[in-house]
Amino acid sequence: MSGTAERRLGAALVAPAGAALAVVALFPLVATAWLSLRHRVPVLGQDRFVGLANYRALAADARFWGALENTAYFTALAVTLELLLAVPLALALHHVSRGREALRAAVLVPWILPTVVAAKLWALLLQPDLGLVARLWPGGAAAVLARPALALHAAILVDVWKTTPFVALLLLAGLQSIPEDLARAARVDGASPLRTFRSITLPLLRPAVLLALLFRSLDAFRVFDVVFVLTGGGPGHTTEPLSLYAYKTLLRAGSFGLGAAISLVTFLCVVAIGLAWLRALGERSPREPPP
Amino acid sequence: MTSSRALVPLLAAAALVAGCRTHESAPAAKTRLVFRYQPLGPDPEPLRALVAAFERETGFEVALQALPNAADLAHQLLVTSLGAGGEDLDVFVLDVVWVAELARAGWLADVSGAFPPARVRADFLGGAAAAVVQGERTFAVPWYVDVGLLYYRTDLVPEPPRTYAALAAAIRAAQARSPGIAGYLWQGRQYEGLSCVFFEALWGHGGAALEGERLRLDTAEARAALSWLRGLVAEGLSPPWVATAAEEEARRAFQEGRAAFMRNWPYAWPLLQEPASPVRGRVGVAPLPGAQGPSPGALGGWQLGISSGAPPARRAAAERLVAHLTSPEANAVLAIAYGRNPARRTAYDDARVRGEAPFIAALLPRVEDARPRPVTPYYMLAADALQGELSAAVSGLRPPTEALARAQAQLDAIAGVTR
Repeated sequence: MSGTAERRLGAALVAPAGAALAVVALFPLVATAWLSLRHRVPVLGQDRFVGLANYRALAADARFWGALENTAYFTALAVTLELLLAVPLALALHHVSRGREALRAAVLVPWILPTVVAAKLWALLLQPDLGLVARLWPGGAAAVLARPALALHAAILVDVWKTTPFVALLLLAGLQSIPEDLARAARVDGASPLRTFRSITLPLLRPAVLLALLFRSLDAFRVFDVVFVLTGGGPGHTTEPLSLYAYKTLLRAGSFGLGAAISLVTFLCVVAIGLAWLRALGERSPREPPP
Repeated sequence: MTSSRALVPLLAAAALVAGCRTHESAPAAKTRLVFRYQPLGPDPEPLRALVAAFERETGFEVALQALPNAADLAHQLLVTSLGAGGEDLDVFVLDVVWVAELARAGWLADVSGAFPPARVRADFLGGAAAAVVQGERTFAVPWYVDVGLLYYRTDLVPEPPRTYAALAAAIRAAQARSPGIAGYLWQGRQYEGLSCVFFEALWGHGGAALEGERLRLDTAEARAALSWLRGLVAEGLSPPWVATAAEEEARRAFQEGRAAFMRNWPYAWPLLQEPASPVRGRVGVAPLPGAQGPSPGALGGWQLGISSGAPPARRAAAERLVAHLTSPEANAVLAIAYGRNPARRTAYDDARVRGEAPFIAALLPRVEDARPRPVTPYYMLAADALQGELSAAVSGLRPPTEALARAQAQLDAIAGVTR
């Protein structure tokens, strides 16, 4: 089979998948982009082309910049904390010999809960009047969710509580793919456990770490349900992420063009984050494991 | 169960297609109406019986389709259907603040023929009639009403305060007698409940939100109202957590016996009087206080509208269904079976309502005085901007004056864009 024929066959084989992608991913994206160039409020019977007016409106909109900042802050802090907590958790899961299955199942409980349920659970815990957290808080009933400085951190806490096990599981898969021989060789060479971790485990874990970062930052940037349940975006929009702002604008206020513009900006941010991590992933790690 | 429910739209579509094809000579099929409603309570039976009576009387068929309980989700679903032509529903429920919006969009059938404005104003409570009659045309019929009330603890408060000053004094007195008790609980979370609380405070300060078609919030009364709400928190008359509370958070704390006062809707009353309730028999209800004297509560509640996209053949049948569901008899059923306040004045004199739902019958003066939130087609657009700024002020993020200025700028931008 000649090269061109093979390429043609390859293209033909990929075509159905490409068509499916175009229908489910590309079409909605193009439709959203087109919608974001219009002023459309169906309830008021308005639908006209306005070019970049929606984007200009967003650029001048303090609430939009606030939402962008909230989203970026939420993503950065939540993902960082999840990673820092997941590394020791993964190591523990990896090295524990007795009751490994039971421990793994126990660790996964928060991850199994639907986010809405987890958020509601924490909302009750944080409820100032009856919640457990409020009871234990020094100085009595603390209105955590009523304080702008604390409310977003509460949402981050819920996200960390829920998703750390998932990150740990990703890292555990990475740990288990590291050949035992390397650690054994290091022990023979007289390396301390810490040195082994720093020089062997961590570099070889890099792809798994980057993958976890990719997954989690894309996910965290689209946060919706945690905040929706916990605060509804309040107090005063201080916890409102982009997704919630887009939802309220689109579906509650019924302003479709502006809502589409917010959605598209969110999408572009997610693409940028994804590309950055993929590029980092693509760089060969200093010491590739032997094939 | 679910599969049969999934079949309903399909059947409706099939019926439509079939309807298009029938010859005039063919025997007429049963007229089938689609009624979209929100479940009124755990027991669907009383409502089903009401609908069944209508079916027996008229020979029509009614398909009940439940909407979600969350108002904004229900709004979203209805707007989606109506925006797509509104052919897949005939009669549906609408919140009091949607009427203007949906009427302006042309999605609500004008029912002035069957329900002339003068009759609506004569039969129904003032606030409810004002919400459904616009420009001397009737666009919906009130189904039941809701109103903001002041709940107080009779064992801590000798008599309900009529003014804001008296409320503050009563809280101080109650806190002196039982230390650690919270004062006034209300809905301060960033959502529609906070809008209701704010408009009540605005009316209580002698203000009004509408100036012609324009929403005005940069007024002295609005500033006084929002400053008062913020002051409640700042001065310890309300606990800081009211800034995160919706109806249920407030009701639970009040029911636990942790507060002297609460602003809430009538639904809380039967719950507070349950046998297991710690405050059972120690709760009173009064009009909300105001700057000079009692102030009106916000009017909530639901109306029945008819889709303008429904085929004319079904229009008359739909009007009959609305008439049946909003009859004095139906008002009494809703009051007794579901604890919903009748929208008809006469229902409050109904012997069964007085006998079996005395609390509801006694609320007549409250619902007579209740005021609708600003009747404007931009309400849903405005509410989102407004809630954020109200919440910012209540939680101490921005001074009330600044929050209102920002809200006004956003409202003007919305009105400018939408003209």
